[in-house]
Amino acid sequence: MSLIRKLMLHYQQEQKPALIAFIMGLLPNEDLCLDCIKALEQGGCDILELGVPFTDPLADGEMIERFHHRGTKQGLNLKRGLEFAHRVKNSCNMPLILFTYYNPLYRMGLDKFMQEARAAGIEGLIVPDLPLDEMYVLKGYGIEPIPMLAPSSTDERVQMAAQQQAAFIYCVSVRGVTGMRSLPEQEIIDYLQRVRTDTRTPLALGFGISGPQQVETFRDYADAVVVGSYLARIIEEYEARPRLLPGQMEKAFSELGKAREGKHGSV
Amino acid sequence: MYPNEKGYYGRYGGRFVPETLIPALDKIEQAYRQLSVDPEFQEEINYYLKHYVGRESPLYLCQRLSREFGARIYLKREDLNHTGSHKINNTLGQALLAKRMGKERLIAETGAGQHGVATATAAAVLGMKCTVYMGARDMQRQRLNVFRMRMLGAEVKEVSKGSQTLKDATNEAFRDFIQSFEYSHMLIGSAVGPHPYPMMVRDFQSVIGRELKEQFKNLEGRLPSYILACVGGGSNAIGVFYPFLKEEVKLIGVEAGGRGISPGEHCATLAQGDDGILHGALSRLLQDENGQILDTHSISAGLDYPGVGPEHTYLRENGRVSYVNVSDEEAINGFLKLSEYEGIIPALESAHAVAYALKMAPELPAESSLVINLSGRGDKDTEEVSRYLEERQEVL
Repeated sequence: MSLIRKLMLHYQQEQKPALIAFIMGLLPNEDLCLDCIKALEQGGCDILELGVPFTDPLADGEMIERFHHRGTKQGLNLKRGLEFAHRVKNSCNMPLILFTYYNPLYRMGLDKFMQEARAAGIEGLIVPDLPLDEMYVLKGYGIEPIPMLAPSSTDERVQMAAQQQAAFIYCVSVRGVTGMRSLPEQEIIDYLQRVRTDTRTPLALGFGISGPQQVETFRDYADAVVVGSYLARIIEEYEARPRLLPGQMEKAFSELGKAREGKHGSV
Repeated sequence: MYPNEKGYYGRYGGRFVPETLIPALDKIEQAYRQLSVDPEFQEEINYYLKHYVGRESPLYLCQRLSREFGARIYLKREDLNHTGSHKINNTLGQALLAKRMGKERLIAETGAGQHGVATATAAAVLGMKCTVYMGARDMQRQRLNVFRMRMLGAEVKEVSKGSQTLKDATNEAFRDFIQSFEYSHMLIGSAVGPHPYPMMVRDFQSVIGRELKEQFKNLEGRLPSYILACVGGGSNAIGVFYPFLKEEVKLIGVEAGGRGISPGEHCATLAQGDDGILHGALSRLLQDENGQILDTHSISAGLDYPGVGPEHTYLRENGRVSYVNVSDEEAINGFLKLSEYEGIIPALESAHAVAYALKMAPELPAESSLVINLSGRGDKDTEEVSRYLEERQEVL
């Protein structure tokens, strides 16, 4: 059983959410990114979702999109992302999920990509422009493909996601792209419960998680929460003072950690 | 027949979009399949095409050009449509579809602005809201069309990210659509995008080829020897080619060769690209060895795009259509020749097809006939062409 599965089952039993951080690989620069990742782990992050910059990231909102464009302007790509993943794996114990758009992966070739991803220690894979019908191409390589669902997903799509028997299902919390404001609380709760009736697969909530408050709100409904734009905002704010940045990342996560225990409001 | 039920043309096409959009695409496909066999809906479209667009568009024999260059050169005059290009055939069709689906707003991407204008026009006549995304660079070189869209009541949103051209405008339109599909329809203007878009755009544009077949038979009692069309995403080309795919007519798609074959200098996707996924479909793409999409260049904003419709990739692979390319300079020459010899100023996009026709014509037997799909008029390009000519004179 993959470490991701074990962790998800653990938190499902504990009835509180695992914390997943999305961070764009190699930015603001390689060493600082690595320091941030270590700080995230210190702060209590369970799983790391490492992004690969792409020229045309159409599932991403303004904040994350800026990171994609910064990355591609510096010549970053999937090959560099995999090399970096290797370094990350040697510096932390969190299981690693790679987030990449489909074209770079397709261009490298699935066999070659999967082989290199496994060698880099990558355990999971999120490809935001590969819908459920096309996800079969990622199977059978010993890396966990993570299916996604959205508030717009019909029952039929929910059942398709359930049939994947994935380590978890990534439930998008917005009607839109990353970094947007999440749907109203009750709508998300209804949506998660609707998915829950069709599957026992753990559910991760992400795309619009804006901070500890929301982690606390959804702690009883989601088995994991993903924060991305929230961290990107901190990176943009502190990157001019790089020595302060890792500390801020750690702080952000320890607050999320309190929030998942239901203790955010009391601090 | 293709596409198959998953939207594939051979191995190209499909749906490569975030899961969020799948239900929206399913609904569009379902509505389209119902309405495309609904006589009342067809009648409604035909009404607008006839009385509003001014169809059918004429088929015109270029006497002076043919005498000078050889063969019998015809133009299918899509430039004479209302709004000045073939784009209106598709925007009216999709807007009527969107309206039937209860959508109140249209979203479009545009390069040269022709599709933006045609979408804004359809929105105006049908009483819908309209937002058009356009690259900052394109807004500069196609200012006239920006004014037109605004006058038609559309909101034009400048996209100053990435390459600042059609590719990034399309990304932005997709992002809007992902958020707003419950009340908006994304009106893709080219034969690209996730299924069912390439199929719908082809079907709505096929009116060009169907008319041409009738018109040509009436004039010459046979079929043309060659049909030429410019190819960016490929909507006018697929529209004129599609009804002739099973006929003995040579079909030639002309891509933008730009300033040369180095990466970033052209848009000859079918000639220079590799298989890949962009804007929702598997097709051919201009990309680097790591799968990052390349910047492109063409003198014509409407061809300045690193992808191409999946059906064209399929037709290239099975050999049914030949794809060639001409440079910026040749396209300008085509632009000037058609203006001088026939008094018709073509869009720079269409000038690519004209340029290749003029290259071919001298080699052809006098009785062979060649139809150029003149996809748009060139008023929007006069500034760009004079700038090009001035710069060149300075070099000389």
